[in-house]
Amino acid sequence: MANDDDRKAAPSQGPGEQTPDTDLDAEERERVIQRRRFLQAGIGVTVALTVTGLSALSVTGSLRPIAKVTPEQEPPEDGDQLVFASAQSKLVTPADIKVDQEQTLAYPKNPKTGVVKSGTDNNLILLSRFQPSRLGPDTAPHAADGIVAYSGVCTHLCCTVSDWDKQNGWLLCPCHHSQFDPRQDGKVVAGPAPRPLPMLPLRIDGGQLAVAGAFMTTVGCS
Amino acid sequence: MGKWLDERLALSRLYKKFFRKMFPVHHSFFLGEITLFSFVILVLTGVFLSINFEPSIRMVQVGTKQLPAAYASVQFIDTLPFGQVIRSMHHWAANVFIAGAFLHLLRILLTGAYKKPREINWLIGFALLVFAVVAAFTGYSLPFDAFSATATKVGYEIAASIPLIGSWLAQLFFGGTFPTEHSLPRMTALHMIWIPLIIAMLIGAHVLIMFLQKHTQPKYAEKVAPGKILGVPFWPQQALIMGVLFAVFVAVLAVVAGVFNANPIEHFGPPGPGTPNVKPEWYFLWLFGFLKMIPSSWHFKVIGIYFGTEFIGILIPVLLILFGFVYPLLQPSKQKLRYIELPSEHPVRTATVIGLLGFFIAATIAAYKNGLGLSTGFLWVLVIGGPIVVGFVAYAVLRAIYPKGRGERGEIGSGADPSPGD
Repeated sequence: MANDDDRKAAPSQGPGEQTPDTDLDAEERERVIQRRRFLQAGIGVTVALTVTGLSALSVTGSLRPIAKVTPEQEPPEDGDQLVFASAQSKLVTPADIKVDQEQTLAYPKNPKTGVVKSGTDNNLILLSRFQPSRLGPDTAPHAADGIVAYSGVCTHLCCTVSDWDKQNGWLLCPCHHSQFDPRQDGKVVAGPAPRPLPMLPLRIDGGQLAVAGAFMTTVGCS
Repeated sequence: MGKWLDERLALSRLYKKFFRKMFPVHHSFFLGEITLFSFVILVLTGVFLSINFEPSIRMVQVGTKQLPAAYASVQFIDTLPFGQVIRSMHHWAANVFIAGAFLHLLRILLTGAYKKPREINWLIGFALLVFAVVAAFTGYSLPFDAFSATATKVGYEIAASIPLIGSWLAQLFFGGTFPTEHSLPRMTALHMIWIPLIIAMLIGAHVLIMFLQKHTQPKYAEKVAPGKILGVPFWPQQALIMGVLFAVFVAVLAVVAGVFNANPIEHFGPPGPGTPNVKPEWYFLWLFGFLKMIPSSWHFKVIGIYFGTEFIGILIPVLLILFGFVYPLLQPSKQKLRYIELPSEHPVRTATVIGLLGFFIAATIAAYKNGLGLSTGFLWVLVIGGPIVVGFVAYAVLRAIYPKGRGERGEIGSGADPSPGD
């Protein structure tokens, strides 16, 4: 309302003496008022957009679920036992793993709590056995009685490396045919996988097969 | 009754405007209609499937077995009267939807129908093909057998391999690192609500624009009745043809679906720790082939951002899609196209399309790399060299059969771009 009055006031000073000056003042005042209105509107819109934007952002952010790590999803660690992936109540003994045979799929088991850590594919372990003399110099120290363990997750696109190339004794991923040599640190010998399979150190603990430490590189595909 | 409605809804105006639209008579003009029919079948069979499906990976007790609820609900669907046939029909119709849309696109591409004034409809049609493939992919994950879990997992990891935003984007669409308990509800919402809604709206716009702009006219129309629109009216002739075609289509689809039962979930069983030896559907095989061909050394870091070998797997289709979207805009023309351009009169364009088909086929052969015992080096030569050779051979053959200047090239009153090579 005040603004309207001002606008009317300017011309109503009437024709006469100081017309040019007062006209200029009135115009100037009008311009200031308009600028102020523009500024106020601008601030209002900015505040509104920021609030809306932030709320929208938090909603969008919540679309990505929060990952919870349950005891079943904790990574294998020193002292864990191993159970068959196909029969999770059965412990894997060294005698179960035969020399130069297809890999065995296993999950780690926490011996204290009795929890089988099968809650994530990242805990899937491949077990295979070779003559200890045939293992490479970097593989042998982490093997137990010729038994070696690798992550079952292909480093290409996270399929399970569940096939076996009998001819070469290589671990074979059925998805895009990446192949890994279990005697040579799980290095890539064929196919598109960018990294070797992560190795899991093993030891024999009172005649039982046990995990001797965490995966030596990051599990998963990158 | 008719009069009562007409006074209120001006139906006779609608009749004059739309029901008398002329449809050109040529078999290649039915490809779009087949695609539309398969969408109708997809929706109808999809309604049946959706009301019986349970989008959850929680384990439920079925007899003596623990099975994911989604898997068990698909088993239940298979026990319903005609349940397995309807599920199979849904699957086959999805294949026809994608194949039909692709062939329809080829027809448009080969006859120059994407040119002015129909660029907008080209873009909508192209988006429809992209959404059709996305719809098929989101449908993949739903039965949650070992096959679908593997295929969706690979899709998740490919999305996650996009530099910077990939992991976030993939977790947003797949509800966390696939599979989580959020994954199937999210894929279900996309597959059953949002993507079909987008597709339905795009189809509406596609058809409306086609009515407003009119079809391109077949070449013979130019000789028979120059300057006039030739064809049969939508109502009643074309509608009758479409009705008959639809009935035949449903019949054939039902028989095929009944005889060749698509995706029997018991074949792979519920997801286990191992990965089944699977190949994706035919429309993903060329990408699958590429993933096998890319050497493991192709990953690098640029200013701290990691580009993996898998990323190239999505880079290729993304580039092709972008090119497809801008293609008609690259050929500005003053005149409006009224008559189709014969493929034989545009040998460069025709040869390029044939070369592109050769590329898809070569990449699909790469998908059978291990079964055929092909080396990676040979496949690279095949995928890059093959299409070029095929393209040049096609050009030479076209030029030999249709020499330059033989017969009218259809410039007279056709409004077509007179340049032969585009």
